Amino acid sequence: MIAIEHLSKRFKTAAGKDHLALSDINLELKSGEFVSIIGPSGCGKSTLLYMIGGFIPASEGRILIDGKPVAGPGPDRGPVFQEFALFAWKTVLQNIAYGLRLQGKSKAEAEARARVLLKMVGLERFANFYPKELSGGMKQRVAIARTLAYDPQTLLMDEPFGALDAHTRTHLQRDLLQIWEEHRKTVLFVTHSVEEAVYLSDRVIVMAAGPGRIDRIIPIELDRPRQRSELMFDRRYQEYITQIEGMIDAFETEAA
Amino acid sequence: MTRHIPSICAGVALLLLWEIAHRSFGLSGLPGPVSAFRALPELLSDGDALYDIAQSLQRMAAGYLLAAVFGISFGLLMGTSPLAERLLNPLIMMIYPIPKAALMPILMIWLGIGDASKILVIFLGSSLPIIYHAWQGGRSVSQIVVWSAAAMGMGPVQRLFRIVLPAALPEIFIGLRTGLILALITMVVSEIVARSNGIGNLLFNSMDMALYDRMFAAIIIIAAMGYVLDLIFEAIRTRFLRWSDSGEHIQVAVG
Amino acid sequence: MTANSKLIGLVPILGLVLLWGWLAASGMAPRALLPSPVDVVQRLFELLADPDFLAQIGTTLFRLVSGFLIALVLGTVLAVLSASSEVTQTAVNAFVRILAPLPKIALYPAMILILGFGHSSKIALVVIEAAFPIYLATYQGMRNVDKKLVWAARSAGASRLHCLLFVMLPAAAPSILTGARVALVISCIVVFLSEMMSSTEGLGYVLIDAARNFRTIDMFVPIILISALGLGLGAGLSALRRKLLVGYPQD
Ligand SMILES: Nc1ncnc2c1ncn2[C@@H]1O[C@H](COP(=O)(O)OP(=O)(O)O)[C@@H](O)[C@H]1O
Ligand SMILES: [Mg+2]
Repeated sequence: MIAIEHLSKRFKTAAGKDHLALSDINLELKSGEFVSIIGPSGCGKSTLLYMIGGFIPASEGRILIDGKPVAGPGPDRGPVFQEFALFAWKTVLQNIAYGLRLQGKSKAEAEARARVLLKMVGLERFANFYPKELSGGMKQRVAIARTLAYDPQTLLMDEPFGALDAHTRTHLQRDLLQIWEEHRKTVLFVTHSVEEAVYLSDRVIVMAAGPGRIDRIIPIELDRPRQRSELMFDRRYQEYITQIEGMIDAFETEAA
Repeated sequence: MTRHIPSICAGVALLLLWEIAHRSFGLSGLPGPVSAFRALPELLSDGDALYDIAQSLQRMAAGYLLAAVFGISFGLLMGTSPLAERLLNPLIMMIYPIPKAALMPILMIWLGIGDASKILVIFLGSSLPIIYHAWQGGRSVSQIVVWSAAAMGMGPVQRLFRIVLPAALPEIFIGLRTGLILALITMVVSEIVARSNGIGNLLFNSMDMALYDRMFAAIIIIAAMGYVLDLIFEAIRTRFLRWSDSGEHIQVAVG
Repeated sequence: MTANSKLIGLVPILGLVLLWGWLAASGMAPRALLPSPVDVVQRLFELLADPDFLAQIGTTLFRLVSGFLIALVLGTVLAVLSASSEVTQTAVNAFVRILAPLPKIALYPAMILILGFGHSSKIALVVIEAAFPIYLATYQGMRNVDKKLVWAARSAGASRLHCLLFVMLPAAAPSILTGARVALVISCIVVFLSEMMSSTEGLGYVLIDAARNFRTIDMFVPIILISALGLGLGAGLSALRRKLLVGYPQD
């Protein structure tokens, strides 16, 4: 379980002033829960994720993971970035085996497990390719497999499908959901797409900017496993989307 | 001011290191910083030495200014004309690894050991980076900007001076700075090779005559020239490039 | 680039050689001052068959390569040190800032006095000249590494040191090799100049020896050779670069 208590983040601007990026965030994530964060650009979604990941320190408040405060990055929380962040000098297989090698597994063992993951994301044939030889969607599949390889309890996904075309995006959403159904990891998923958030999540957190804060948390009470084709005709699904879109529209007219 | 503190500390540390090396090696060829700096006033009050240094600087200025004018024009030509670029690129690549100061002995045979050969070698030594960066600067000027200027009715000459030159200026200054440092180095080396006069000659003559304090004083003077030229250049650059966002970066003396 | 557009670049080079040949042949420049290109090439091959001359090339090559390799290690180690923490970064950069604008060639007599007239003073000069571009390129390259790459590695369980050496350093490899290429040409130039200023062997010495005896033709040969060496080694490094950087995106 992840508990976030009175979390704030200030940045020093170039002019030397304090800039309050996140203010008093309180949030609890249950184990195995799929939670999405949505909100206007610059409201601190990435910053929140980075603090949970332990990549940047909090200014105030704390983050507890199973009761223990976060003190830095660790293999219990695996990030997936919009930019993929793959190691260009390693092949697909080596990228995925990376975390396992770090945990002291032998090369053969790590690669065997990496192949299983590669199969899971549907890229068996590309084991010996370099990242630059893959399309965007394939790169993100590799990045997800690399993170899943060291079996983190929590996935921190920062607009993972944001740089992909609509078609690839739909595929990856479906596959991610399938993997999640199977492994039931806790997922914190930042997105700009309301539809994506509703489709994937147990709860959708709507954030507002200036300073970044949680505006509302909306439980998505749709049955699982979900099929997109079925959801399309589900009235509640449509209502969730309309409701959240409306809230975001309201922010934007407010801000303008 | 506070941002200079680390550099000042580093400078002091280097002087200390020098002193420690002096004491621990016990070589006559390595006097301490104190005696080297003591030899400085003597060297600087020596009329002949001062005349030598002034001569050196004059030749350097002449060679460098020639290189600047020639290099910028040549580089911008390459940067704005694809034909000139294709024509001259391989030549530049081939000339690049030639040690220009090594041409000094040949130039001396052709032109004598006077100013002409030294100015020419300084010109050769400093023009290549100026050409190169002016070329890159000219290339980077957005074709769209040039076209819209043409559409507004600017002629080619006007476009060159009002659009291309200012836009390429930050890059040109990088070349001018590298060229300046190279001019200084080529000057020193050419004088060491020609052994007639100048600060480079002073440096090696002092070594040959075992006047080690004087030799290190000459090193200090050359180092000071490097710093002073660097400071003057930086002042001029910031003057011209106030509008540009190219931040400060460490420049290296090469050659 | 098409073959045609590459060929056009040969025109000025050929033009210069022809001009040189014409100047020498027309008798406007006396043979003692300007040997013809044919004579120079002939002499070049003559000397390349001479074991003594090959030994001179060997000496220069040895100084050049050892100086360059030491500079490569030194520059890279300093850059890694610099990238490892704020404190080391401030410290290393303070020294770099002080030493960078200094014309290092002025220190050469001091190196001769401390290290002697043999190999070490030349190698030392090559090292301090070549280490700076390598340091700066590596340092910039490591600073520009995407932070998310490091975060991804840290999450997977990598230590800070591991990230520094096995994530940031390989990620900066393209910059390091670019710096190395610049440094290699500088090394060629510097080793030659150092041999001209004070040496009893090496290609630079061959030039000075020929100059003392007014053998003009023998002055052209070492200059052509050292330039060819610079071009050749540079091309070799480029080939190596293509091999080493297979997975990296083309810049
Ligand atoms: N390293 C930083 N330095 C200064 N300000 C930052 C930094 N990172 C983020 N910010 C600021 O914090 C706010 C939140 O940024 P971010 O978390 O990236 O927003 P989001 O991901 O929601 O678009 C923005 O106003 C941004 O300008
Ligand atoms: Mg973001």
